[in-house]
Amino acid sequence: MDAAHIRNFSIIAHIDHGKTTLSDRLLHRTGTVATRDMEAQLLDSMDLERERGITIKAHPVTMLYKAKNGETYELNLIDTPGHVDFTYEVSRSLAACEGALLIVDAAQGVEAQTVANVHLAMKQNLTIIPVINKIDLPHADIPQAKRQLEDILAIPAETAIPASAKEGIGIEEILEAIVERVPPPKPTGAPGLQALAFDSLYDTYKGVITHVRVFNGELKAGMNIKLLHSGKNYEVKEVGSFNPKPYVRAKLEVGETGYMTANIKTAAEVKMGDTITDARHPSGVLPGFKEVHPMVFSGIYPINTADYEHLKQNMAKLQLNDSAFAYSAETSVALGFGFRCGFLGLLHMEIVQERLRREYGMDIIATYPSVVYRVTMTGKDKTVKEVDNPAFLPDVTHIEKIEEPMVRAYIICPNEYIGDMMALVSEKRGTLDHTETLDPKRVMLHNLVPLGEILIDFHDRIKSLTRGYGSMDYEHADYQESDMVKLDMLVNNEPMDAFSSIVHRTKAEGRGRALAEKLKEVIPRQQFQVKIQAAIGGKIVASESVSAFRKDVTAKCYGGDVSRKRKLLEKQKEGKKRMKSIGNVNIPQEAFIEVLKT
Amino acid sequence: MLENCGPRISSLYLHVPFCAQKCAYCAFFSEASSGELINRYVAALVREMELVAHDLQPRTIFFGGGTPSLLNLRQWEKILRTMERLNLLGAEEFTVECNPATVSADKSKLLRDFGVNRISMGVQSLDEALLDRLGRIHTREMVFKSFDTLRAAGFDNVNVDLMFAIPGQTMKIWRATLTEALSLGSEHLSSYEVIYEEDTPLFAQLQAGEFSVDEDLACDMYEDLIARTTAAGFHQYEIANFARDAALNSQLSTRNFPSHACRHNLNYWRGGSFHGLGPSATGYVRGVRTKNWSNTQLYCEQLEKGKRAIESREELSPVARAGETAAFGLRMNAGWPFADFQRTTGHDLRGEWSADMDGLVQRGWASRTPERFQLTHEGLRFADAAAESFLR
Ligand SMILES: Nc1nc2c(ncn2[C@@H]2O[C@H](COP(=O)(O)OP(=O)(O)O)[C@@H](O)[C@H]2O)c(=O)[nH]1
Ligand code: SF4
Ligand SMILES: [Mg+2]
Repeated sequence: MDAAHIRNFSIIAHIDHGKTTLSDRLLHRTGTVATRDMEAQLLDSMDLERERGITIKAHPVTMLYKAKNGETYELNLIDTPGHVDFTYEVSRSLAACEGALLIVDAAQGVEAQTVANVHLAMKQNLTIIPVINKIDLPHADIPQAKRQLEDILAIPAETAIPASAKEGIGIEEILEAIVERVPPPKPTGAPGLQALAFDSLYDTYKGVITHVRVFNGELKAGMNIKLLHSGKNYEVKEVGSFNPKPYVRAKLEVGETGYMTANIKTAAEVKMGDTITDARHPSGVLPGFKEVHPMVFSGIYPINTADYEHLKQNMAKLQLNDSAFAYSAETSVALGFGFRCGFLGLLHMEIVQERLRREYGMDIIATYPSVVYRVTMTGKDKTVKEVDNPAFLPDVTHIEKIEEPMVRAYIICPNEYIGDMMALVSEKRGTLDHTETLDPKRVMLHNLVPLGEILIDFHDRIKSLTRGYGSMDYEHADYQESDMVKLDMLVNNEPMDAFSSIVHRTKAEGRGRALAEKLKEVIPRQQFQVKIQAAIGGKIVASESVSAFRKDVTAKCYGGDVSRKRKLLEKQKEGKKRMKSIGNVNIPQEAFIEVLKT
Repeated sequence: MLENCGPRISSLYLHVPFCAQKCAYCAFFSEASSGELINRYVAALVREMELVAHDLQPRTIFFGGGTPSLLNLRQWEKILRTMERLNLLGAEEFTVECNPATVSADKSKLLRDFGVNRISMGVQSLDEALLDRLGRIHTREMVFKSFDTLRAAGFDNVNVDLMFAIPGQTMKIWRATLTEALSLGSEHLSSYEVIYEEDTPLFAQLQAGEFSVDEDLACDMYEDLIARTTAAGFHQYEIANFARDAALNSQLSTRNFPSHACRHNLNYWRGGSFHGLGPSATGYVRGVRTKNWSNTQLYCEQLEKGKRAIESREELSPVARAGETAAFGLRMNAGWPFADFQRTTGHDLRGEWSADMDGLVQRGWASRTPERFQLTHEGLRFADAAAESFLR
């Protein structure tokens, strides 16, 4: 297709505003899928995504649309992950487009994720087509939604298209607007092939299937290509598009979107945002590339130690598909052999854990998540270390300062909850930058909050404090110096590594006390007193004790039934073997798990 | 199948699986039953004795239950006459367990006439409310009366069973019971903490939170038990067993046990062989442990067909067997003289189990001399944990 008849676009929306429903409508209306093939929510393929209603990753779809002007256009819908953890992926997907449909729920109005997504789209200079969805709802308020578009997002209200994805209202107008308003792709003017790798997934037979957008030149089977950032060369085996099932094409030309296979063995070889060029005549890199780095780390351990190898294999499989997931072996005194894992964010972490559990059937336990701290060492050279694991935090005497990653968090909530939200932000060591009135009933709070603080329950707390009416999203901001300390939990003076964490000094004692109390409940009594302490540096900040048994004998031994008694003793002995011994204290792994779960 | 190997077995246990009423804590195999099944059982037991007699030359016999004293005179007579016919009488120690509610002068005399020389009385408590709580059928009064009856019949070796840490039992109640029990002047006392066995009403009550276990109180009662029995002239020779010593001249420490120690039980703890007859009875013969069916009906049917009623057999490797013997022997205050252990098991305790012994000595739970290994006062309170380490 000639570039003048190609339109590349994404759909961006706050969760539940109708992105998936509208995508399905567009596929249907353009005849890309027949009604009988339509299962609800065509593009959300993973169970997990359907359950959570979040599209983590859907492949691009090519639709053919005959416009009112009589001409046929190739419309490429490039999905974006709907969560801030995947901001970089979103930005790469958006980079493959010239335009974006911005969906706003007519009844809900602009929400936090709407704002974050629009910021990203604007950074990419995309043409934004606002769609006010769900106008069929009785409490739909179109004028209000339009006002918010103007006031909050500076998008001209008259450009908005009222629609109902559910009822099929406004679909025609949306398709026409895509044709009319989204600019056609323009060649970059480079000497040869320039294509953006904006996503990839793994196929057992074909290897990595890379999602590409051709910016310049053409991509076809048999070409020798080079990935500029990874520096690797491959021979292209196959190119094609999705409708939404993959179909092979002779080539992908300027402005076209689809996939490529090239015998690539692991997803990690294809860096998100890499530039694909002709290996013999390389063109320059496309703008916007970044290396992705995990933002959140946590230990993942098999509950059954015998599952270690199995877990390792499954993590490798998972990584084939998810290059943003990083892992390396680590051991814990408490939990045995496991892995230190890196994730893009909290949702990504939950997704990986859920997939290990559900898709791979693994029984796992995760340790308290940590962000990456920047530690400046004392001494002349002031070396800076990145620390994502409390175990590797250098001794305080060698630390000049610790910095922690911050995020800009937007909270949108009804006016009556402003006080609660401000209290929550300050509890999370955040600061309120400014507030913005959205409409007579709602405000948006702009805050700066440490990433480490929003990991645990920030979002849930907002939801529960506002009875579901509040929403939150964030973007990464800079590092900020902070009074962080290492909190250790000790049992009879030995540290229990699984419970060490890096926390802010003001929170260390409270957390230490809470952990000590929980541990006290689960650590079984021993034949001696067990001391459980929380320590910051060498200083004990909380202490509990488990009293000693005074006896361990069932006083009567029934006459001849030695077998029965022996079996009881054997069971007891077996049980002890499965325990971890820390500071001479036998602790069942289940006890650690119990505490980590809470 | 037994004929071909070694000397005859010198210890015999017989199980009587009937009780007038089931006690709240009891997990022994026994049931409240009618006369007909009891007669059938007696016939089956007779049959079982006939099958095993050729391999027996009993030095100790123990009728346990259940409630052996529940059998009537005729039934007892049938059993005892059979034993006589099979040459099973004449044991050095012949014990029958009795419930204080079922001891009569006639029965006592009959038992005595056939050579029963030791009675074990299930007293459990001398507090009416607690007896009731436990579901015991006897009263305080019956205990005192039965004791006199037994003495009158000439029994000069009587054991009294007492329980402590019964839900609702205070220290005061326990002390009163112990004082009264000691004043009976029995030769032997067996006293143990209530055990909550699954599938008993008491366990269900505990699970339901009707009461809670007070470990400190149980420990205090146990300490009190040891102190008071010692003061009353008893010698503790096993975790839950105390006996008087009648041998005047020889020193107890060189004999390991007081003279009134229960020989039959000593044999269990020392890893000795024994035959076990009756439903649910266990046996240990030439390294093989057996267990009879815990079902009286089934037991009878098997024997009526002329077959033994063994449900399961288990034979451990020699080292596992020795480990088990080591573990159980440590329940006794005298511990294990190395020479005795070697003689019983063919293994040297100082070989395979050297590290286990050292570990316990280090913890202060045991002491080791050139002759023997034994648990300390402290160690006896952790006998299960100590025993466990010897299993292989
Ligand atoms: N009433 C009404 N409901 C809609 C409309 N569009 C989507 N929905 C419903 O809104 C919910 C979320 O839609 P979905 O497409 O999954 O949102 P996504 O999270 O943005 O992908 C679903 O229950 C849809 O059926 C609409 O136009 N009108
Ligand atoms: S009398 Fe003894 S065997 Fe019978 S139920 Fe009571 S405790 Fe159990
Ligand atoms: Mg969706």
